[in-house]
Amino acid sequence: MVAILEKRDLRDLDWQTAVLAIMIAAFGVWQIHNAAPDQNFWTKQIYGIGIALVAFVVVAFTDYRRLIDSAPVFYVIGLILLFLVLTPLGVTVNGQKAWVRLPLVGQFQPSEFVKIPTVLMLAKYYGSRKSAALSFKEMMIGGAIFAGPVGLILLEPDAGQAITYFPILAAMFFLSGIKVRYVVLAIVAAAIFIPGAWMVGVKTGKIKTYQQERINAILDPDSVDPRGYGYHTIQSTITVGKGGLSGIKGETDVSQSVLKFLPEPHSDSIFAVTAENTGFIGCVSLLLAYALLLSRMIAGARQASDRAGMLVIMSIVCGMAFQIFMNVGMALGALPVIGVPLPLMSAGLSAILSTFVAIGFVVSVKLRRFVN
Amino acid sequence: MKLNDHVQNLGARVFTIQVLAFVLLTLLGSRLYYLQIVKGDYYSERAENQRIRLIPIPAPRGAIFDRNGKLLVDSRPTYNVVLSNEPLKNINVNDRVDDYSRGLGLERQFVVERLNLIKKQNEFEAMVLKENVGIQDITWVESHSLEFPELRVELQPQRHYPLGTSLAHVLGYVGEISPKQLEDPAMQEKGFRPGDIIGKGGLEQYYDEFLRGRPGYRKVVVDSRGRVQAEVEKVDPQSGQDLVTTIDYDLQLAAENELANSSTKRGTIIAMDPNTGGILAMASAPSFDPNIFVQGSSTPEGRRQIAAYWQDEKRPLYNRAIQGRYPPGSTWKIPESMGALIQGVITPTHSNMACGGGITIGSKFTRCMGSHGSPPLSYAITKSCDGYYYRLGLKMGVDGLINMIETFGYDKRSGIDLPNEKVPQTPKTWMPYILKHEGKWSDIRTVYASIGQDTVVVTPISMLRAVASIGMHGKMYTPHFLQEFRAIGPVGEEGDSTYMPARPNFGFQHPEPKIIPMTDDQYDVMVKGMWGVVNGGGTAGAIRIAGFDIAGKTGTAQVAELGKDSGKNKDHAWFVSFAPAFKPEIAVIALIENSGFGGANAAPAARAIYSAYIAKKGLPKTDGQEVASR
Repeated sequence: MVAILEKRDLRDLDWQTAVLAIMIAAFGVWQIHNAAPDQNFWTKQIYGIGIALVAFVVVAFTDYRRLIDSAPVFYVIGLILLFLVLTPLGVTVNGQKAWVRLPLVGQFQPSEFVKIPTVLMLAKYYGSRKSAALSFKEMMIGGAIFAGPVGLILLEPDAGQAITYFPILAAMFFLSGIKVRYVVLAIVAAAIFIPGAWMVGVKTGKIKTYQQERINAILDPDSVDPRGYGYHTIQSTITVGKGGLSGIKGETDVSQSVLKFLPEPHSDSIFAVTAENTGFIGCVSLLLAYALLLSRMIAGARQASDRAGMLVIMSIVCGMAFQIFMNVGMALGALPVIGVPLPLMSAGLSAILSTFVAIGFVVSVKLRRFVN
Repeated sequence: MKLNDHVQNLGARVFTIQVLAFVLLTLLGSRLYYLQIVKGDYYSERAENQRIRLIPIPAPRGAIFDRNGKLLVDSRPTYNVVLSNEPLKNINVNDRVDDYSRGLGLERQFVVERLNLIKKQNEFEAMVLKENVGIQDITWVESHSLEFPELRVELQPQRHYPLGTSLAHVLGYVGEISPKQLEDPAMQEKGFRPGDIIGKGGLEQYYDEFLRGRPGYRKVVVDSRGRVQAEVEKVDPQSGQDLVTTIDYDLQLAAENELANSSTKRGTIIAMDPNTGGILAMASAPSFDPNIFVQGSSTPEGRRQIAAYWQDEKRPLYNRAIQGRYPPGSTWKIPESMGALIQGVITPTHSNMACGGGITIGSKFTRCMGSHGSPPLSYAITKSCDGYYYRLGLKMGVDGLINMIETFGYDKRSGIDLPNEKVPQTPKTWMPYILKHEGKWSDIRTVYASIGQDTVVVTPISMLRAVASIGMHGKMYTPHFLQEFRAIGPVGEEGDSTYMPARPNFGFQHPEPKIIPMTDDQYDVMVKGMWGVVNGGGTAGAIRIAGFDIAGKTGTAQVAELGKDSGKNKDHAWFVSFAPAFKPEIAVIALIENSGFGGANAAPAARAIYSAYIAKKGLPKTDGQEVASR
């Protein structure tokens, strides 16, 4: 799989994307340190980034087309890993059974990694099709490929991770020429169905009280119990707001995360920690860095030598943009609390590794833009 | 590949995704602007509020001493379980009721009341959930600190009354400020908060602001569990001022002993220095134990005891010396005689009136206890001749009696430094009511009023003050307990916002004594009459002390009509006096409820106080021989 490094490869490599991603990850290490200065999350993250960079280089210099060809193998391995989570090999962390412990490899979160085989499998299928509007049958086949991993993730159950898969499918459909009228229809249907389902769900009790509370915490933060399910949203909002223009200075020992008011500061709430420590200036800089990174990736998609490569990049872009929006929106008290990590920032080996592998694919596709 | 595929329009689709991503990032940016720039200060404050907590450091309350430095009240350290409201905010407090009541052995109802009270308070306030806890409760709180971060154990100086029931009415007790008191704007202005300990009754209440210390506090940073992480600021408390009273505890004990050994064990004895108004002893029986109010208000059996005090028919909580109003009976003849002299109704040389063994008003005959001929004033006092006073009263008229009432201040409080003093009720009080309902003030009422019955009820303190003023040749002092408040030094650095300045020492601010104008002749005839009561074969001859001439007057006040005056309705026995007769050093009044004759029941009690006084001070150099020379 490892390609021989050629001089041309090094020249054509998208250094800017790589450096940008590493800078964001380094900034993330600083924030993980701020979140819990007396714990070793940040050193673990550096170690994780090291591993992730190796994986990144391997993927970047591998011809992505060969990997796409082998997509069914990866896909099946992915499904097996997800299945293992449901077996006694699965490990429960923070009340959620989303991890698996394997001999030699250790403990990791398959749902983070399986995104890539899913993307590859879908790209393989849709990349080979002709230029025409997407047919119903093609949508069903794509949907079936998608349903395998997502169904297993929902069985864990990890709704937060499952949600992050949807932008991948949406990007595939959209860029495979789904008719615009279907897109409009889907949006209209969602606009009607989601509130409708909410009301029916609340009435019938299918949507559990804690789930309702999480939504209510967004809609009407003053009315929910700030010590109950609204706690996370309220503390996150306070932490962000407290940062002000340029963040707390010299008060790090009484920060929201150090005093443990902010839950999960080093992982899901890393953006709130960033906001508290670096303020509006730091947060806007980070969002701009993400915008730049996404732009670089989209530019790569435009230059991709084939449809499959373009689909790989764009579905990664969509997945990443969606995760950023969900995670930051949650930190800002604008979206309900679901466990979605912030790409490149949140502490976690599985997340950082899968993100760098994804970016490796982007770089790999770009690297071969002149090959045809 | 070509993105500008006509059918799929891929270039436009990729561009759409890019725009969508940027729009979402812009939305996040604007929300950030709102939270951090627009509302940044608000959230900073909220963050500070949830991590800063003020832990009050209670200030020791001033101790109370008698005039000889004997400790009467102090404070001792106890542990309380304290409930702070910040961690409770927005918790359904009903979830806690069972945990608290089981864990700390409290009544559910009490826990509910506490929780409701604390929920109404501002952030960072705290109040006591259980007082005086032992090691078992402390362990329970500590081991549940994660579950119930709102609970903590606090060291609190607790008021301690080492004398128990002794002197209880004078000292009063302390307790938590009541919700009703908190609503009082005057209390709010002074910054009282729920759970504050304030004086309730007695000197504790009257001098609360001086006895009370000024609490300090610790400002600390807490984590989300309420555990203290760091101390930001500490302000030490300033102790309250120590109170030195005029009480002589030996005399107090003698007085309490007399009441305890009296036939009904109900009554009051007051001893006062007539030269200043300083109270030497004030006993009221039955009494109560203030410690029960301090320690027991949070325990079921303590509250039962408190309720029993309130419901007791013998009214142990009530200070008979200043709150009891009794018909004065014959003791009333002293101020009445002085009033008649001042008004010129009689003169020292022409004071004779017929006894007649009684008097007939209309068809009703009201008798005298003896037959005294037509005695002069001194003899009438010595023998307590009712017939004389029926006629004197009629001669003065009710207006003359009212004039006398005003002269001796029976229409006002004595001004003693205790709360809840009652004003006597006299013909002056009743006049408007009688005129309205009976049309006129009848002679029979004047006759009854002239022997301290019917429309006359007075407080023992008002009677003692009036009679002592005659011994002082017309100088009537304000009775009081305050001798001195001791100074307390400043706390903190001058100029700091938390600086508490020194509190200087001060004594009782003596108001000018009221002057009752009397001539030497008038004074002589009065005091001689009173001297005779004890030393001249009068109604209290049995209590005579050789070398220490007591001037006094007995009183036997009817509670019910003749014939029904036995048992529960037996007469009240009075004795009011001062000594030595012509140079008084001490004035004593004794009242034994429903015990019968004053001379037999009250006078011996007063004598015991004089004996205790002599035992301590020795006999005065100018002895009773002086009387003979007059």
